[in-house]
Amino acid sequence: MNGTRLFQSAPAALVTAVALCLPFLAPDFMLFEFSIAVCYGIAILGLNLLLGFSGQICLAQGALFGIGAYATAILNVNFGMDPIATLPFAAIITSLIGVLIGLPALRLQGLQLAIVTFGVASAFPQLLLKMDWITGGVTGLATDQPLAPKWFPGSQELWLYGLSLICAAISVFMLRRLLRGDTGRLMRALRDNPLIAESLGVNLTKARLAAFAASSALAGLGGGLFCILNGFISPQSFLPMKSIDILIGGIVGGITSMAGAFIGAVFIVFVPGWTTDINPALGGLIYGLCLIAMMMVARQGIAGLPIGRSLQALGGIFNKKDLSRVPGPLPGQLGGE
Amino acid sequence: MNILTVRDLCAGYGATDVLHKVSFTVEQGSIVALLGANGAGKTTILRALSGLLPSRGLVEFGGTDLRQCSPARRVELGLAQIPQGRGTFGDFTVEENLAIGAYTINSKRQIKEDMERWYTAFPRLAERRRQQSGNLSGGEQQMLALARALMSRPKLLMCDEPSLGLAPAITEQIFEIFKSLNHDHGMTLLVVEQNADLTLQFAHTAYVLEAGDITVSGPASDLLRNEAVQQSYLGV
Amino acid sequence: MVLFFQLLIDGLASGAIYASLALALVLIFRATRIVNFGQGEMATLSAYCAWQLCEWGLPVALSFLIVGAASFLLGVFVFRAVIKPVSKAPVETIVVITLGLFVFFQSLCLWLWRADQRAFPAMFPSGGWDILGVRVTASALCILLVLLCLAATMGAIFRFTRLGLAMRASAYSSEKSLLVGIRVERMLMLGWGFAATIGFIAAVLVGPRLFLSPTMMLPILLYALASATLGGWDSPLGALVGGLIVGVAESLGATFLPFIGADLRVVIPIAVTLVILLVRPVGLFGSSTVVKV
Ligand SMILES: Nc1ncnc2c1ncn2[C@@H]1O[C@H](COP(=O)(O)OP(=O)(O)OP(=O)(O)O)[C@@H](O)[C@H]1O
Ligand SMILES: [Mg+2]
Repeated sequence: MNGTRLFQSAPAALVTAVALCLPFLAPDFMLFEFSIAVCYGIAILGLNLLLGFSGQICLAQGALFGIGAYATAILNVNFGMDPIATLPFAAIITSLIGVLIGLPALRLQGLQLAIVTFGVASAFPQLLLKMDWITGGVTGLATDQPLAPKWFPGSQELWLYGLSLICAAISVFMLRRLLRGDTGRLMRALRDNPLIAESLGVNLTKARLAAFAASSALAGLGGGLFCILNGFISPQSFLPMKSIDILIGGIVGGITSMAGAFIGAVFIVFVPGWTTDINPALGGLIYGLCLIAMMMVARQGIAGLPIGRSLQALGGIFNKKDLSRVPGPLPGQLGGE
Repeated sequence: MNILTVRDLCAGYGATDVLHKVSFTVEQGSIVALLGANGAGKTTILRALSGLLPSRGLVEFGGTDLRQCSPARRVELGLAQIPQGRGTFGDFTVEENLAIGAYTINSKRQIKEDMERWYTAFPRLAERRRQQSGNLSGGEQQMLALARALMSRPKLLMCDEPSLGLAPAITEQIFEIFKSLNHDHGMTLLVVEQNADLTLQFAHTAYVLEAGDITVSGPASDLLRNEAVQQSYLGV
Repeated sequence: MVLFFQLLIDGLASGAIYASLALALVLIFRATRIVNFGQGEMATLSAYCAWQLCEWGLPVALSFLIVGAASFLLGVFVFRAVIKPVSKAPVETIVVITLGLFVFFQSLCLWLWRADQRAFPAMFPSGGWDILGVRVTASALCILLVLLCLAATMGAIFRFTRLGLAMRASAYSSEKSLLVGIRVERMLMLGWGFAATIGFIAAVLVGPRLFLSPTMMLPILLYALASATLGGWDSPLGALVGGLIVGVAESLGATFLPFIGADLRVVIPIAVTLVILLVRPVGLFGSSTVVKV
């Protein structure tokens, strides 16, 4: 499936609509959690780019997320930058580090890459502790929170939520541009068949590194945003399980769907909490069962569920223009030679 | 007497059927050829008969209805198949390939005897018994695949394009082996082939499959003379 | 020099533990091309059960025997209930499912036995020998011995028995195996069962060194993953050698590389794995058939 067309599908419309309606429906504390979900969603977008569109599994996404968060915090604390202004830097710095991690990926295959990157994720909290002169060690770093300007009518949470949505919108927009362009085509060729792609003269190195750079930039942006939202970060927030959670979010949502990234993010932010609400002692147990049952039912992720597909069909009815652009036989020609 | 009766067999991949109600019979002790163009569904028939694909329709083998039988049970009943392409286990040695071919045989003595027998028949395999079968040449692999299938003492041996990628001389050799298996041991053979000319000289009966349907059938000698068959498959 | 040999011995002993869990992972991977992220936690559950039986007064050996068999059944059950239904699903789906197993079994232990650490019954004789100043403990020796027996048994089963041959065949190609009359699904099931038992053995080896806790196998899982990767995912021998390499590298590196030290020791297996993969992309003993996840 084509990445750009996926975005126009029904799950995307649904996710956008829900995201815009939330401020009117959800209380402030929920809004905060949704903002957190949005920043995970941005990181998951990055993971999807790697996994769904170029077929590489990176389990260091949580660490990259952490690097973005620490970039924002350090730039704010040590250099006095405005937190929001640090976000592009967080993305760029993380992107550079991501490319470094991506370099070995040029030679590693799926499973090996997954395990090596998971090692990176496991070492990350230790590294943070070790570099305590800049990261603050166990105590972590506290950052300024960007306060809502006076003219803003809503609450502080709403302001932060808006900020998150803007970041998400920018990410989606950039990603779409990327996937539509030449690099996107390269990456898809890479996923579908690296050997053939290479023999056709696709520059594998370039495509893979581009995928890593873009994916890490998104993780960094998400992480920076996470830092701003929380106002405080410590190594405790970036344990290896975070990378696993992000992977779970990506796959549960559906790895080739942008809307799925945000659905998956909501899943990993809320479902563990709910299962603990059901029964504090059995929370993890229910969450584990949820994951298993979920994937046994929705093998392509939530965004790939029949409901999603039928909504997509509905979307097609309302969006006639789109239909005529779909390649393939016209209805009258079906079956005829 | 028919050892295999297939009636109205339908099978395919996913939602679409490749075979549309195929019916044919294989007589005990005969060599039957199954001819057809690429993509006609020959391999699909064999896969369905071995139980690798779900199918509909009647398949009766030696008086047993195969529909309830698992693939493993079918082998136990005496149905063996040499699949298309490399039918060997590449990271096994030659000897291990033969041993696994005799998986359904319980008598150690019989396995040993059979192994010696096929080593005598295929001296090249005997020389290479400790070698990884993945490193054998194409022809040697085909022989190994054949020997492996024979280790299960089949009543009906189905071969999917045994001549694929082999030199004419080796192909001929393999067909000679088929002939002697049939003649000396009374084994029934169902051979899928592209090399129609050669196959029809060896076979007793032949069927032509076109797009999932049997279109021509009859004694092999008749088919050799059939104009339509000549045009499509014999390149006359 | 004495320190070096001391670290070498210690490293081999921990390496043996990584190797045994890696063996379990590789066994499953060979058979079903799945990496079972839940393997370590399933082993933890088994270890807890063994501990519980001992607490209730059963002799240690008997309870280990019972739990070894029960672990086998657990592996079989997990395969039948969870893995078989999704055998045709995309790999990502299966990854999440095994991660789900991980979460599930960890929480199960947490729920049943709480988070407090428990002392695992000591199985190996205490004491040891001083050889030229290097202390060789009896338990380290026993751990290595157990691993060697395990590896030898597995090797013999795979090479010389019909069952082992059939399991290898199923791992090589399910279709060709069906054609020679092997009940492939049963073999895969057995593979999961054996893997669970081997995982239990790994947990038994760790138990006395650490305390029992629901998360005790987590670091071991990471090391075992690294071992399997550097050894080559489809090679039991690779898992064995890989585990020992990782163990030794970790023990030596943590002491001799000052900037790494004890806190960053987790970096070492990854670095070693990376270096080996850069030299030999399929791992030390892997064959090139392993393509994607
Ligand atoms: N695994 C599969 N999935 C989907 N379609 C398949 C599969 N295998 C075969 N087909 C289709 O089924 C049809 C029949 O294939 P089959 O392999 O039976 O042909 P064949 O007669 O053996 O051809 P050949 O002489 O080339 O081996 C073909 O159109 C093929 O594309
Ligand atoms: Mg064919």
